[in-house]
Amino acid sequence: MAKVDPFTRENIAQGLIAAAEEMFLTWGRTSQSTIIYEVLDYACGLTDARGNLIAQANGVTGFLGAITYSVISTLEKFGPENLKPGDIILTNDPFTGSGTHLCDVSAVLPIFYDGELVAFAANKGHWNEIGGKNLGSWSTNATEIYQEGLQFPVIKIYEEGKLNEAVRDMIAANCRTPDMTLGDLYAQTASLRIAEKRVLELFDKYGKDAVMESIETLLENGRKLALKELAKIPKGTFEAESYIDANANGLGDVYIKVKVTITDDSFVVDLSESGNQIAAPINCTRFGAYSAGRIIYHALLNPDAEPNEGFYSPLKVVVREGSVFAAVRPAPVSTNWEALSHITDLVAKALAPVIPERITAGHFLSIIGTILAGIEDGTGQPFVLCEPQAGGWGAGYNKDGENGLVAIADGETYMIPVEVAEYKYPIIVEQYAFNLNTGAGKFRGGCGLIRDYRLLNSNAELTTIVSRHRIPPWGFAGGKDGSPNVVEIHPADGSEPIIGATFSNYPMRKGDLVRFISGCGGGYGDPLERPVDKVWQDVKDEYITIETAAREYGVIIDPVTLEVDREKTEKLREEMSRQN
Amino acid sequence: MSLRIAIDIGGTFTDFVCLNEETGQVIDEKAHTTPENFANGVINAIEKTGIDLAQTVYFVHGTTVVINAVTERKGAKTALVTTKGFRDVLEIGRANRPDLYNYFYKKPRPFVPRHLRFEVDERLNYKGEVLKSVSEEEVVEVARKIKKEGVAAVAVCLLHSYANPEHERLVGRILARELPGVEITISSDLIKEWREYERTSTTVLNAYVKPAATRYLDTLQERLEEMGLKVEPHAMLSNGGTATFARSKEVPITLIESGPVGGVIGAAALGKIIGEDNLITFDIGGTTAKTSLISRGEVKITTDYKLEWTPKYAGYPVKTPIVDIIEIGAGGGSIAWIDDVGVLKVGPQSAGADPGPACYGLGGTEPTLTDANLIAGRIDPNSFLGGEFKVNLDLARKAMEPIARHFGISIEEAALGVIKTANNNMLNALKLISVRRGYDPRDFVMVAMGGNGAVHGPFLAAELKVGKLIVPNMPATFSAWGMLMTDLRQDFIQTQIMPVIGCDLDRVNAIYQEMEQEALAVYEKQGISPEDIVFVRTADLRYIGQEHTVRTPVGNGIIREEDLITIRKAFDRNHHQQYTFSLDYAPAEFVNFNLTAFGMVKKPEMKKMPPAGSLHDALKGERVIDFDEHGRLMSKVYARGMLGPGHKIQGPAAIEEPKSVTILYPGQTLEVDDYGNLIIYTGV
Repeated sequence: MAKVDPFTRENIAQGLIAAAEEMFLTWGRTSQSTIIYEVLDYACGLTDARGNLIAQANGVTGFLGAITYSVISTLEKFGPENLKPGDIILTNDPFTGSGTHLCDVSAVLPIFYDGELVAFAANKGHWNEIGGKNLGSWSTNATEIYQEGLQFPVIKIYEEGKLNEAVRDMIAANCRTPDMTLGDLYAQTASLRIAEKRVLELFDKYGKDAVMESIETLLENGRKLALKELAKIPKGTFEAESYIDANANGLGDVYIKVKVTITDDSFVVDLSESGNQIAAPINCTRFGAYSAGRIIYHALLNPDAEPNEGFYSPLKVVVREGSVFAAVRPAPVSTNWEALSHITDLVAKALAPVIPERITAGHFLSIIGTILAGIEDGTGQPFVLCEPQAGGWGAGYNKDGENGLVAIADGETYMIPVEVAEYKYPIIVEQYAFNLNTGAGKFRGGCGLIRDYRLLNSNAELTTIVSRHRIPPWGFAGGKDGSPNVVEIHPADGSEPIIGATFSNYPMRKGDLVRFISGCGGGYGDPLERPVDKVWQDVKDEYITIETAAREYGVIIDPVTLEVDREKTEKLREEMSRQN
Repeated sequence: MSLRIAIDIGGTFTDFVCLNEETGQVIDEKAHTTPENFANGVINAIEKTGIDLAQTVYFVHGTTVVINAVTERKGAKTALVTTKGFRDVLEIGRANRPDLYNYFYKKPRPFVPRHLRFEVDERLNYKGEVLKSVSEEEVVEVARKIKKEGVAAVAVCLLHSYANPEHERLVGRILARELPGVEITISSDLIKEWREYERTSTTVLNAYVKPAATRYLDTLQERLEEMGLKVEPHAMLSNGGTATFARSKEVPITLIESGPVGGVIGAAALGKIIGEDNLITFDIGGTTAKTSLISRGEVKITTDYKLEWTPKYAGYPVKTPIVDIIEIGAGGGSIAWIDDVGVLKVGPQSAGADPGPACYGLGGTEPTLTDANLIAGRIDPNSFLGGEFKVNLDLARKAMEPIARHFGISIEEAALGVIKTANNNMLNALKLISVRRGYDPRDFVMVAMGGNGAVHGPFLAAELKVGKLIVPNMPATFSAWGMLMTDLRQDFIQTQIMPVIGCDLDRVNAIYQEMEQEALAVYEKQGISPEDIVFVRTADLRYIGQEHTVRTPVGNGIIREEDLITIRKAFDRNHHQQYTFSLDYAPAEFVNFNLTAFGMVKKPEMKKMPPAGSLHDALKGERVIDFDEHGRLMSKVYARGMLGPGHKIQGPAAIEEPKSVTILYPGQTLEVDDYGNLIIYTGV
């Protein structure tokens, strides 16, 4: 018989989740850095004394593994016996647990109750500037991690409450914006202390045994939920392969492959047959692969589940050291989101045919990381437009794909309004509209976006990193593929546009126009099964042309009256389905 | 001629409050809300009281007609006219994906489908300079296409119209000329704030609800006049002020949260009377619990409202100012259920008014919070809603049985579990509005209202570490009373970015003067004399490089060089309060200039109560109430109607009144103040 009644236990569990959320809000509120409080590129969580994730609050998906492995790397380096109240450990080491790239810094605070280590509060977020060869620290053409900024190899920034001033001064000396970077550090660590306070309040109010029992129940419930969902999924091994086609540093495509094996109590993602790491920053480390595994596992099993170790316990991610998904030093990793995103997509593609009710067709996937930077003519001040793009999502068994939505690696991420962009940067946005090359299907893929920037400044440099440039998002169950991501530069002099994917510091001049075309999502099901009325509505709404209606969907619509010729349509559809 | 009347439509009940200014007498009444035709519920409530509308000097109405037209998607067929290259902005939104792991996430669907979104080839830059002029011919052609589609309303939102509204006005005029009988809304008439998606969304929603709002307000006014009403009726606005029906019909989107704000304004007014200016309001009705925060007498207003928003759904931005309220699905009718892994949850599903909680005996079989409160003895089956409505304890127990069986516990323990879970949900909402926004609840007084506010308030106030809780008179209809305490209100926002130090002072002064002129013109039409108009200016400032802004007070009159330093210092202070830091050395800039124009209305005076009789006379009896960790305790039960100034009661106790009950915990003390409010010292 439980010592605590189930309702109190649940209240305590909710209190722990609320502590993680409050840490998240506090950091957002106290940060001086836009990438934290606007882009929400950070995460906060609590683990038990062994590093098992109890609760996590996220602004984007990419940090799902970060809390767990940051704490575990802390325990591995110091051992619990060398952690003291008031310590805060800093790590951004992608190869030992922090997981993503150097800009993302994890901080870990051990929580003690009555002298005993009972839990950890940990968080991780994107620092604007951490040194390295490029302003903003990430680049699309690094060849070694040493070009990507300052490294914190699991170090104590606070020892028993005392700030390590030597480390602080080194940070200040190695970053281009020392005030802001140190501001990030203080906001991040202060939010850890809020979580510590809330957790200790729960211990004080309910007693240690009750809290420990609640944590156990919470993890147990997470595992129960996962097993329940696994029971509903077909068992077996499922495979998919593709390429990361960003062509970074001109190194061409990287082959990637997954084998997913599902049993009653395990979900194994084996990536070991994927290609080798390359001397371009698209690699991820094994910890990035673990995070990616969690994202897609979470999505497939139960998107509403609370993120905790119990829920993730059936998941195992297998990688091969030195591969693009488990890069080792000195591989550059600053645009690791490319590898991470492709893992989620490979698993989705492998499982889509067997669990179509749990996954939608391929989406534009690459976040199309973009930097447009230069010195403004009028003021002589630097400007840096740094943003992801949104694109088209895939169709599913019961819905069309979404039009213009950020990629899986993003989350509560907002596109910059046109009116704000034109005020802040010397550009005119000439259009922000749908890309209509959607994947046909019984359910149609979602529209990508077209965003045009015309440069008003005498010159600027463009940097982009884009995959899914050659290989479009996949359709399934008879649905057609979507369309790829493309970046076009239209020179002011009217000469031929330059069409590509990854650009590094490409020089632009006044009047040049850069067009970002994000891909459209893949379709689901046979396009000939799409109800004629829906095809007609798509034509009426100009999501598809009259020609596309005939060619892909076999629906004949009169260009003048916009009426469907039912008879001809029936004939054409019959003929098309015979040919298939 | 001495009646002041407020009518507030809620999800379950339509509340009516009438104050007779001569006698000081207040009547309150509830009638069932009539969703098929809301005006009927209003008329029913009035008829129930038998008052003579001809005696009315002031009539204010909190209405759900706008929010309902939107949530039920029953607004007008609407077209949108926008700048060339940007017709998809309404559908793209900000492209955020709040439901992080859900591949089946559905974005908010636009209220105007793609084929009704038209472009005109015109362009301004961010300074409002014309890059390309409007072609009248092209607009006429667009009007022709719109006419063919048979729309009832058109929204016009052009890029950078906040900086220069001329293009929008021109397009609006041409459309009005070409499309007689079609309601036209141009964005710059509603807001002059940047961010095209948010402004377009607000404009579209205004256009979408305009015909329905006009129809409703016209019909209601007609019926009220038939019943004898002689004054121009007012509608409650989401910003906590009011406007005449005539004005409300022009900008119906400002009525979107017309219903819930009355209680917040009422609490602020009550606070003023009794000398409390830091308040947390806590309103529990049948379907939801709502909480809001008043700091230094000031009701918190947000311009970041998103309709239908949830943590997992982006919602639709409405950029008009709205009282900042957090609402969760936890009310008396909230249903208790067991989730996938066997954990008890309460709400957000509600049994509503029909079938209602199981104990109503109207066919509801699922256990609700009201059933749990009944089982725990917190609500008396014999005096529910003043005894006019019989509830059945056996049905409540029967509904609670499956929960008890699931956990292997008694029905009483299950009921406590339901209360505990609901309390925890409510506590989270209370923390969200206070602690999580940087306020310390110990500096605040809680005001409990709604039928169930005083049932849960005393416990939750103590949990939140609030020392003092007020249960006002007639807590169940307090929101309607609050509406009687409001002034007319208009809000203006003008985006204009410039550095604070070294700004164009002429421009700043011109912006405020233009807004004030506009406000005066609107009030003149409503018959408000200039001496009753009060202007409150603020500006939204930020440190250069930041995105978010902080609202900062600005003095009235001509702004001079030296005033800028005062503004700057106030900004640093406010920034520190909200974000825990300020960058006193960093340059700051203006983003928006804001004006609130109040049209002061004569408000009822709260009268002190006559001295009380003996406390013994108020004692109705005793019953056992389950106080959870304090145990099942024999508790005295008092009739609120017999309590008066100076009475003191020690918990455990229950104070019953016709539409509510107050549950006083052991260790808590209750005093009745001079106005009849119950003041509870929560014991923390």
